[in-house]
Amino acid sequence: MNEILLGCIQCGKCTGGCPVSTRSTLNIRKLIYRSLIKIKDKNKDFGIWECTTCSTCSIRCPKGVNVVDYIIDLRSYEIEGGKVQPQVRDTLESVFKFGNPWGKIREKRADWIEGNGVNILKPGEKIEFLYFVGCTPCYETRTQEVAKAMVRVLKTASSNFAILGTQETCCGNEIKRMGELGLFEMLMEDNTKLFKEFDIGLLFTTSPHCYNTFKNEYPEIGFEVEHYTTVINRFIKEQRIKPKGNFEKKVVFQDPCFLGKQNDIFEEPREILGNIPGIELVEFERSRERSLCCEGGGGRMWVESESDAERLAATRVKDAADLGVDVIATACPFCLLTLEDAVKTTNLEDKIRVMDIIEILAESVNLETKNKD
Amino acid sequence: MNIAVCIKRVPETAEAAVNIDSSEKRIVEDQLVFDINEADNYALEEALLLKEKTEGDITLFTVGPKEADEVIKMGLAKGATCGVRITPENLDSLDSYTIAKLLAEPIKEENFDLVLTGCISSDAGNSQVGVTLAELLGIPHASLVINMEIEDDSVTVQRELEGGLLGELKIKLPALFTIQTGINEPRYASILGIKRAAQKEIKVVENITVEGMKTEIVRMYYPPAGKMAEILEGGVEEVSGKLCEILKGKGLL
Amino acid sequence: MTKDIFVIAEHRRGEIRDITFELLTKGYELSKDGGRLHTVLLGFQNEKMIDELKPFSDGILNIDDEKLKDFNAEYYQMVLSNLLQEKKPFITLLGQTAFGIDLAPSLATALDMPYAADCIDIEIDKERVYTEKQIYGGKISSRVSLVENWGYMVSVRPGSIAPKEGELKAEVTAITSPLKEEIDYRRFVQYIEAAKGEVDITQAEVVVGIGRGLKEDKNLPLMEEFAKSIGGVLACSRPVVDAGWLSKDRQVGSSGKTVKPKLYIAVGISGAFQHVMGMKGADTIVAINKDPNAPIFTVADYGIVGDLFQIIPKLNEKVLEVK
Ligand SMILES: Cc1cc2nc3c(=O)[nH]c(=O)nc-3n(C[C@H](O)[C@H](O)[C@H](O)COP(=O)(O)OP(=O)(O)OC[C@H]3O[C@@H](n4cnc5c(N)ncnc54)[C@H](O)[C@@H]3O)c2cc1C
Ligand code: SF4
Ligand code: SF4
Repeated sequence: MNEILLGCIQCGKCTGGCPVSTRSTLNIRKLIYRSLIKIKDKNKDFGIWECTTCSTCSIRCPKGVNVVDYIIDLRSYEIEGGKVQPQVRDTLESVFKFGNPWGKIREKRADWIEGNGVNILKPGEKIEFLYFVGCTPCYETRTQEVAKAMVRVLKTASSNFAILGTQETCCGNEIKRMGELGLFEMLMEDNTKLFKEFDIGLLFTTSPHCYNTFKNEYPEIGFEVEHYTTVINRFIKEQRIKPKGNFEKKVVFQDPCFLGKQNDIFEEPREILGNIPGIELVEFERSRERSLCCEGGGGRMWVESESDAERLAATRVKDAADLGVDVIATACPFCLLTLEDAVKTTNLEDKIRVMDIIEILAESVNLETKNKD
Repeated sequence: MNIAVCIKRVPETAEAAVNIDSSEKRIVEDQLVFDINEADNYALEEALLLKEKTEGDITLFTVGPKEADEVIKMGLAKGATCGVRITPENLDSLDSYTIAKLLAEPIKEENFDLVLTGCISSDAGNSQVGVTLAELLGIPHASLVINMEIEDDSVTVQRELEGGLLGELKIKLPALFTIQTGINEPRYASILGIKRAAQKEIKVVENITVEGMKTEIVRMYYPPAGKMAEILEGGVEEVSGKLCEILKGKGLL
Repeated sequence: MTKDIFVIAEHRRGEIRDITFELLTKGYELSKDGGRLHTVLLGFQNEKMIDELKPFSDGILNIDDEKLKDFNAEYYQMVLSNLLQEKKPFITLLGQTAFGIDLAPSLATALDMPYAADCIDIEIDKERVYTEKQIYGGKISSRVSLVENWGYMVSVRPGSIAPKEGELKAEVTAITSPLKEEIDYRRFVQYIEAAKGEVDITQAEVVVGIGRGLKEDKNLPLMEEFAKSIGGVLACSRPVVDAGWLSKDRQVGSSGKTVKPKLYIAVGISGAFQHVMGMKGADTIVAINKDPNAPIFTVADYGIVGDLFQIIPKLNEKVLEVK
């Protein structure tokens, strides 16, 4: 039996909070039950690939059972067997070959910069802030805008920052959660070794997913890791960044699971938004710890759900529409993509924009620099 | 059933820029990522599926540099029994014929019921090695196989012909088939699996020189510009507009 | 040494295949070097095919045998290795087709004859034969020489030679089939037609071809919508079928369908020759691809270099506006 599960009292709080339990075959309590009483059958049809590794279950469990690790275990068993869905296979093979899950070659990893003059770190160099862009903002066109906005904002903060350019490789957060533990180990070792070639003061990430794994799962990283919202919020407080231009919009913030629930960062994003003139910030009915997962985590960015029921992102977008907001702000590339897709499928494109906080800030900051010029 | 599968390590060139080196007989490989040749991966999977059904061993063969061990290890991780890498001194000047010749020797030594190869390699694209090998082994073959059904000592295969037509053949074992992509869904080789496979021994055949090349690359060059599309320039909005205008002008909208 | 050129005629279900005329056109050119051009026809009840082939070569070597009715590499190889040994042609041409791929490599090996596969051009220079071919998915070209021998074999990529009308009058020579016993280790069983699907892409005037660039099947609706707006049907490259996103009857190319629409729009398709073969006959070809070096741009009339996920939605909008 799986040791992770010892202590489970079958109360069902995990399933009760699981965002995908209502729209898929995954019933995490039942799955644990089968394992506890040793029913041996293939876990194929139990929807283990539906899990977004949002961690709601683990957080709610009164007995401290690490439910997510159990899911990862089940997945790793399938991965080792090799017979996984083609999308899982292709994503993992891409990370192994090219260092990113998007099937793109390494040489193109820094193409998003488009000659915008970003310092690319060279071996031996010392740097105060290393901006870890992440696979999705490096390659995916919509989220490339987020990385570009980050660069614009950082430049106004006259901070000493650099990126890794084509040396940057997948952090492995999603890979671990897809159950490919060997590949995760490999990425962790390679990245740790790479980081040691530089003298890094602090690393910050676009994505809460990268942040999560660097912060909590890289034992030998040897420097501070922060999510960009923490860094930027500090810069604003230190007045190194001064949001000036008005952003007269009603905004709601979507807490990314890997930022909020899993790493207790709730205030910083809200503080940044609060400091941008003109914003009217409202809250979802379910927010912070109770925030609804966007379904982008745990490999679900590359693995389609079997379910035809409404996507959680669509539910979220409709809730936002009910609140009458103009903008859904988030601080995670996956949330950005799933929510934006949902805005399209719910035909709310004319009403709601999905933006990363840094994009809103860049608009506000940029007005200022434009005035200066 | 004992199965031999011939696999090749090839560069991924679908997205990458491909450059010719100064010898004009090779491409520059430094920047390229390598993987098992696509069709070979389907051949390997077909062998693995058969092994699951009928028991027996799978031996992998490759002709290539030391780095070709990577694809052997991947195959071992997926469930192949053992691997043989053949690295002749004159690896760079081999043609499809001599590759088949190199493969034929060790394969002949063992009594395989079935030999599988991919139907084409993504680098040279000759579709030649498998069928040549069958001739050298003196066994019947079928190329471009998209379906196979084994009954006792014979196999019913479907070959992919042009225009969506299939040709069905019945062939007695031992035989060689060159496998077409899409025949199955290749599995994933996990990193732990590959690491574990690294402990299995790969038999290496080296310090040999093969003779009897039938063709030789005189020179590689970039395809002549020839006909080139009129590339529409501008932003997304602009090019979309331009294209619409053109299509409308031609009465296509 | 003769300078004769042999073309192995390819036919299926009693019909000569286009590649044969392409080979004969090239063979005619090569035979001007002082040789004669022969069509080698292996088949059963060949009269109709002979009539059709007559204008294209100086001679037809006709081997008529029921065993040769449907292609079986074993029988064909037996007949041809005998014949080539005896007649010693300078160059023997076949197509790089399901027929040629199955036959040429083993036949050349049996004869210990140099063989160059998948060529797009052939040149004779002082008794030596050189061929041109494309490698690495068409990104690189390569000139190949065949080592010296009494005879050479070359397989030619379909579609690389524009066939011309024949003006000759072939003399037909019947050759007795050397085949005696039935072969039991390789038997032709039957042809199987591809399953018929809901749409016939070959009849459409506008075809939108999608490729691996689409990345995931969840992006299909985007393309379906676009195809609808532009009044066309969706077709695809082979990886799209392999991945199960679209059914086999939507595949364009050598192992799929050949389409000749008024407009073909290739989206996220690299332009591998197998695909190009199935669509190059379109009147107007548009390619949308983010790789400026993708070979598809060499067959297209108009190209847009960029990300399809940005271009298609915008293009869709514009098309609806214009319509
Ligand atoms: C015997 C045989 C028969 C075959 N028959 C056929 C056949 O009938 N039909 C066929 O199609 N193939 C056939 N093939 C396969 C063929 O060789 C190629 O592998 C295939 O055509 C490639 O398909 P593709 O262009 O979709 O994919 P790829 O070659 O992978 O190309 C994908 C393209 O999409 C572009 N791209 C990626 N992302 C984007 C984006 N976001 N925006 C814009 N562009 C993007 C890339 O730059 C690339 O050029 C056959 C192969 C063999 C061996
Ligand atoms: S991690 Fe989230 S999606 Fe997965 S089982 Fe737990 S609650 Fe459900
Ligand atoms: S919440 Fe914890 S104790 Fe309750 S059923 Fe789930 S795992 Fe078991």
